Amino acid sequence: MQVVILPILVPMLTALTALFWGRPTPARRLFVAASALLQCLAAFGLLLHNAEGGALALGVGYWTYRVGIVLVIDLLASIMLSLSALVGLAALLYGMADQGTRSEHPLRLPLLQFLMMGINLSFMTGDLFNLFVAFEVMLIASYALLTLEADNWSVKQAYPYLAINLVGGTLFLCAAGLAYSLFGTLNMADIATRAALMEGDPRVTVLALLLAVVFLTKAGVFPLGYWLPNSYPTLPIPLAALYAGMLTKVGVYVLLRAFGTILPHDLPTAHQLLVFLACVTMVATIFGALARPYIRGILAFNILSHIGFMILAIGLFSERSLAAAIYYIMHHIVVMASLFLITGVAIRLTRTDDLSRMGGLWKQAPWFGLLFMIQALSLSGLPPLSGFWGKYLILEAALDQHAYLAVACLLIASILTLVSMLRIWNRAFWAPPVAPGSGVQPRGAAWVRLATIAGGLVVVSLVIGIGAEWFLKLSFAAAHDLMDNSNYIQLVFEQLGKGGR
Amino acid sequence: MQIETALLIGVLFTCATYLILQKNFVKILFGFVVLSNAANLLVLSMSGRPDGKEAPIVDATGRAMVDPLPQALILTAIVIGFGVTAYLVLLLYRIFLDHNTTNAGDLYPPREGVPLDRPLPGEDTPDI
Repeated sequence: MQVVILPILVPMLTALTALFWGRPTPARRLFVAASALLQCLAAFGLLLHNAEGGALALGVGYWTYRVGIVLVIDLLASIMLSLSALVGLAALLYGMADQGTRSEHPLRLPLLQFLMMGINLSFMTGDLFNLFVAFEVMLIASYALLTLEADNWSVKQAYPYLAINLVGGTLFLCAAGLAYSLFGTLNMADIATRAALMEGDPRVTVLALLLAVVFLTKAGVFPLGYWLPNSYPTLPIPLAALYAGMLTKVGVYVLLRAFGTILPHDLPTAHQLLVFLACVTMVATIFGALARPYIRGILAFNILSHIGFMILAIGLFSERSLAAAIYYIMHHIVVMASLFLITGVAIRLTRTDDLSRMGGLWKQAPWFGLLFMIQALSLSGLPPLSGFWGKYLILEAALDQHAYLAVACLLIASILTLVSMLRIWNRAFWAPPVAPGSGVQPRGAAWVRLATIAGGLVVVSLVIGIGAEWFLKLSFAAAHDLMDNSNYIQLVFEQLGKGGR
Repeated sequence: MQIETALLIGVLFTCATYLILQKNFVKILFGFVVLSNAANLLVLSMSGRPDGKEAPIVDATGRAMVDPLPQALILTAIVIGFGVTAYLVLLLYRIFLDHNTTNAGDLYPPREGVPLDRPLPGEDTPDI
């Protein structure tokens, strides 16, 4: 199935074309936007195809077993591909509506497409070392975007982000070496079959823990997530939305893939570690959200806290909890990205996102306030919005396993999320402007365009919440594939058998 | 040979960890260089003979060769590590030019707030 390579090839060719196009012009923008739209439609097509139970795989170059790299698009991968294409499209359109071609940095669009390529590759790859390469492609593009338009203050915030990810990457290389010496292969399906035979071997636990540390670094779990709240807010708003939506969730996805598809399922030590770290993350980081005086900082801490929810669901490790994690990822990516875009519109209206200087947004634009309210309540988990179903399923899975401490942490974190969102609501939307002349200064119709793009994501998130039945069915099917990886393994082996070089 | 390699990897990891925990960013940079070499050596030792006395090719006598795959992996890892290190050096130079220091203690003073009055990203009028 040659179509499998398209989610990597299309962003790469788009990036290269845009790179050699040179200076930003409207035509170049149109080209990149058309490509992003195409990627989005193709990803949705793949998702619908996979929802019917048709996973796809491609052995690149038809190399044989042990040396060939396999790309696999199963249901979970296609869910993630659709989300990344959707958020990528929204970020791109927002960036185009936000900035004129004259002030756009010529490298921003190519780097954005390279970033998409790295993200997509890490969703699709079926090879542990190739995953390392995918991470590096993604990270290098993300470093470059982080520092591309940075001022003095922002640039020094990028350094911790780089440093922790460099160490994470090196540890991943060690983990790949360890996996190769243990199993004699780097193919994920092959590792899965061999690891299943080594049940209870402590070396497999060591490998699992090493991989967990690497992926938890990417996800930004508590002791390893200090780089996130200061570096994400320095990004331009559309990029911040993409980073907040996608990048940490790549870590969560890979964690799901590692513990579900690749590693054997009897790893109580690693699972308990995940639950413990998740509980600490949820509660410890949400206090940061209560303390930060500006909206982007509050949202950045909320990302960290909610990563804890997903990690908890992975650590509980039952089919229901994995389905909850997958549903929560869908919910969280869309909600976080749209909240950052909404913040961008608020910044455009009030010239700041410092809560002590904002106010009067509700009076100025009630429908825009409604957008924020829907997403804030969804993030805090009120029915019938998407956050409620995700949290409900995680809670249920935790109660099933009598993990009452985890339940308590989850509820505390949810309530404090609501409090932090109410802080934004009260100060920025409800309160009158602080001083005359400091409040809302409507400047043309540009903000309406921006708010419409953010509203598009809000609609998607409403659909995920109200049409939860279909999305939960998807999540349960994907979780079933994770728990029972025989289909995945069979698919990869059929693909590798075809070459015979 | 396996023991010596293991010891060397251990020493390199120790030095790298020590350097990375320093406050000076230049030392962290060197720590990363040492760390990536340690990781490369670790992967190399997976190929069977870490002393490099056997090439990953079959000669005419048909002697057993070492596994070539880890060497291919290291080649990729070296290229990636090289690129990232170059980027890190440039970023460090930019930080040094901006702030005239590469010491974390001076760069991130305690209780430094976010300068909210600086111009916000994406604040200009679009022309479309």
